[in-house]
Amino acid sequence: MYIMIVGGGRLGYHLTQALLDEGHEILLVEKDPTICDTINSQLGSICLRGDGCEAATLEQAGTSRADMLIAVTGDDEDNLVACQVAKHKFKVPRTIARVRNPRNEYIFKKLGVDVTVSSTTIILEQIEHEVPSHALTHLLAIEDRGVEIVEIRIPDDASTVGKEIKELPLPAEARLLLTIRQDEKPFVPKAETTLAAKDQIIAAVPLEAEETFRAAMLGS
Amino acid sequence: MKVIIMGCGRVGAQLASLLDKDGHQVTALDSDPYSFRRLPADFGGEALLGNGLDEDILKKAGIENADAFVVVTQGDNRNVMAAQIAKHIFNVPKVVCRIYDPLRRDLYAMLGLEAISPTTVFAQLLREKLEG
Amino acid sequence: MEFGNILVPVGGSEADADSIGLACRLAKEGDGGKIVVVHVISMGRTLPLDAEVEAEIGKAEDVLARAEVLARDQGCQIETDLLQAREVAPAIVDEAVERQIGLILLGVNYRTRFGEFCLSEIVPYVLQNAPCQVIIFQQRSV
Repeated sequence: MYIMIVGGGRLGYHLTQALLDEGHEILLVEKDPTICDTINSQLGSICLRGDGCEAATLEQAGTSRADMLIAVTGDDEDNLVACQVAKHKFKVPRTIARVRNPRNEYIFKKLGVDVTVSSTTIILEQIEHEVPSHALTHLLAIEDRGVEIVEIRIPDDASTVGKEIKELPLPAEARLLLTIRQDEKPFVPKAETTLAAKDQIIAAVPLEAEETFRAAMLGS
Repeated sequence: MKVIIMGCGRVGAQLASLLDKDGHQVTALDSDPYSFRRLPADFGGEALLGNGLDEDILKKAGIENADAFVVVTQGDNRNVMAAQIAKHIFNVPKVVCRIYDPLRRDLYAMLGLEAISPTTVFAQLLREKLEG
Repeated sequence: MEFGNILVPVGGSEADADSIGLACRLAKEGDGGKIVVVHVISMGRTLPLDAEVEAEIGKAEDVLARAEVLARDQGCQIETDLLQAREVAPAIVDEAVERQIGLILLGVNYRTRFGEFCLSEIVPYVLQNAPCQVIIFQQRSV
């Protein structure tokens, strides 16, 4: 694959290195000539000096044959524009932007960026997963369908322990996909399945029904 | 009409002053308080300090019921992003932005933004002066 | 002084003939190493590295053929090679490593840019990274 990376900061540098190791053709675009020189001497001649938001630079970089453009500068607005120019002018099939302000994820997607990555969001999700006080963990959002895949852990003291699934006031569109129970093979929960403490349940839930779902599963 | 002007540089401040005198309800937005010195002493509108790429600040500036949004900060990409937020997230009826880079301007004009490139406009103006 | 095999990068300019002539003299005086003449086609990023640009390849083959005639006229053993690379200078250095070159003889033209003397960016890179001896040969400037 021909992958272009805009922004030669620490993230861009390590990303370049990792993707080169995987055997991809990489071009890094960076404004600062000193950073360019350093990267070229360390990773080989793969850094082009220029503004990754400028059509002329992207033209020279052969953007129209790129399979992917990843914008990882420190400024959200620059990442947005780099992705939009790549997408609309050079028809790059996949654009990925780093966002510093997590609230920009939604804006970027609405403005046509294919994938957004926010370190804040990722770390928060990790914390959610690691800290048991959060019974509900977001695993995957399928935003264009308005659905997310979540994992919920049933605490020992939940009032729903011992109840059958059909007794729970679950939101109509929610679907329980999998029960993971200690010392058992994971199984698909049925209406008659009885909840046990420490059960981990994977479910597909409409974005707006997340709270109702949580309350129904935990009985609070 | 209610107008938000993001970027209170020379152009932003001048425009704010003109629209204010015409009787419009003007909010000037800038992330540097020192910029507001450019507003005339009798400026009747509001001067709001904050980052115009932040939705909360935009809401505070009253973007939800603004009739027009003008963005003239020094950064082309800031302008492009703010203009798109105003147009596509808040559905402001009239959005105009400045993009110095003519190529970028053409691209975003194609994508439906009302954008002006002072570079192009001024070069044309000079040519007209020279060629009569 | 022994140089071993001598690498002469050529670009199709008037400096080529003199560089090859000089390389031949050095080779004959030395231990009979051969001359390797290489032309690097610089591939812009708009094309994949292995794309075949007929026009460029044709031009390059002409340049190398001329080099071959020049060397043979002087009774020198010569090999030629055509390379494609994103950047010319690293390609020259790589070639020197691969072919166990003892000397890179780089002919340069006197150039100005924006009214000032300008050294080709290939020269500093080769000087800094060459695995062997390097001679920079510049024709009279004016």
